[in-house]
Amino acid sequence: MAARWAARCLRGGRERRREWRRAGRGGALGVRFMSTPTVSRLTSDEVILMRNELFNKEKERQLSLYPRIEKIEVKYTGKSHPGTVFVMNKALSTPYNCAMHLSEWHCKKSVLALVDGEVWDMYKPLTKSCEIQFLTFKDEDPEEVNKAYWRSCAMIMACVLKRAFKDEYSVNLIKSPEVPVISGAFCYDVILDNRLNDWTPTNVSTITSCLESCRACILVQWFFFNEGEGSVSFFLFVGYKMEMIERKASQNAEGIVTLHRFGDFVDVSEGPHIPRTSFCFQYEITAAHNLQTKQSELIRRFQGVSLPVHLKAYHIVWDKLLERSKRLVSFSGEVQLTKYKDML
Amino acid sequence: MRLSVVAAISHGRMYRPLGLGPRSRLDLLRNLVTALVRHERIEAPWARADEMRGYAERLIEYAKLGDTNERAMRMANFWLTEKDLIHKLFKVLAPRFQPHPGSYTRLLQIPNRDSLDRAKMAVIELKGNPYPPLIRPQRNTEKTLLNQLLKGYREDMQRAATPEAPKGTLV
Repeated sequence: MAARWAARCLRGGRERRREWRRAGRGGALGVRFMSTPTVSRLTSDEVILMRNELFNKEKERQLSLYPRIEKIEVKYTGKSHPGTVFVMNKALSTPYNCAMHLSEWHCKKSVLALVDGEVWDMYKPLTKSCEIQFLTFKDEDPEEVNKAYWRSCAMIMACVLKRAFKDEYSVNLIKSPEVPVISGAFCYDVILDNRLNDWTPTNVSTITSCLESCRACILVQWFFFNEGEGSVSFFLFVGYKMEMIERKASQNAEGIVTLHRFGDFVDVSEGPHIPRTSFCFQYEITAAHNLQTKQSELIRRFQGVSLPVHLKAYHIVWDKLLERSKRLVSFSGEVQLTKYKDML
Repeated sequence: MRLSVVAAISHGRMYRPLGLGPRSRLDLLRNLVTALVRHERIEAPWARADEMRGYAERLIEYAKLGDTNERAMRMANFWLTEKDLIHKLFKVLAPRFQPHPGSYTRLLQIPNRDSLDRAKMAVIELKGNPYPPLIRPQRNTEKTLLNQLLKGYREDMQRAATPEAPKGTLV
């Protein structure tokens, strides 16, 4: 596993260096001042590589903020081991490390962590002494966990959609609407290439088969902060994504935006995600509907349904849920999307 | 007629012949009652626990009369072989059960004993004991992901099944 990751990094590094030479003088500094016309000349693969490189660099930069290891005390307030206190490293240890100290059961079952009353990803580093609790799928009130699971499945679907179409057709991801679980399907709004306006997918499950190629290389979902709006443009998000990032940055007191990555795919979303994609057991992309909006572009809503390993369903029940998820999920409170500048 | 068969049938007899004889049976039950008052939760063969249950509850009813009562004191003296428990009975258990009208004990069956006799065992406990509860209340799994999806499915089916009333008919 480690070898596979190393190989990818090396390959990415070599290709990136070739890319910079092609782009001309400036190298890493030039990225800060890259204007949008140059961006559109890059293919989606190169964009993905650049994004990953920037993600890694930002991660290293954040790690280097704490050169000396400082210890923090994390109190466990759950029911299983009352009164436990973990001595963890500041900005290095994650709730997953705390669970590792307790038991394998805790590692496998916990989906999110409740740190000082706030919902955290399992792999998000802890920054100060706090109280921690683990949330699972089978709690008394798994609402947050369900929402996070739906969000993660939507993000996986977005990744799959990006890869499913051939390189010459552009796929623009808009956003994943926060749908309640009871509606039966998670969705992602996408604008496909103009040439695909008349195309309707005859068999949407073929897109799901692309999932396998994505899934094979994914180990863990990472996340991290990104300070300030200026640096986010590094990631070459355009259009709706930029609006979402700006909105989130303005909502947050310090202008921090959280990005999540899994495998190659980097995305911004409303809240925390599940720790590993191996949590999804049954996963199916079921339908694609055309949304009726006032804009000129055709927005499509791709829908899917999924169940985690902890809550497997019998195949008959699963078929019924699939049938239901094919119906269009619409709900009140959809944010009106403003027109975006250019496509990527 | 085989007398052994007649002797074995015991239809309608409300008497359990525990121990070696009537006195032995009372001693047995007395030991169990003492243990129950001391430990507030004991494991015993089901027949003995069931037999002892009535005696224990009546003892507590006597204790509720108060320790100045001569009959209550004589009962407690007979039934509790360890005399420090008489104080516990009158000072701790009687006030605990004062608001309740009856049923101060709980009898629950447990798996058969591991030894050769495979006897039917039970746990008898006084209510309000400080130990963790024997029966855990079942978790409410209504809000798990799968149950929420199925609930949505069920509601959709119900909405599809009930015919929609045409709008504008009701005034």
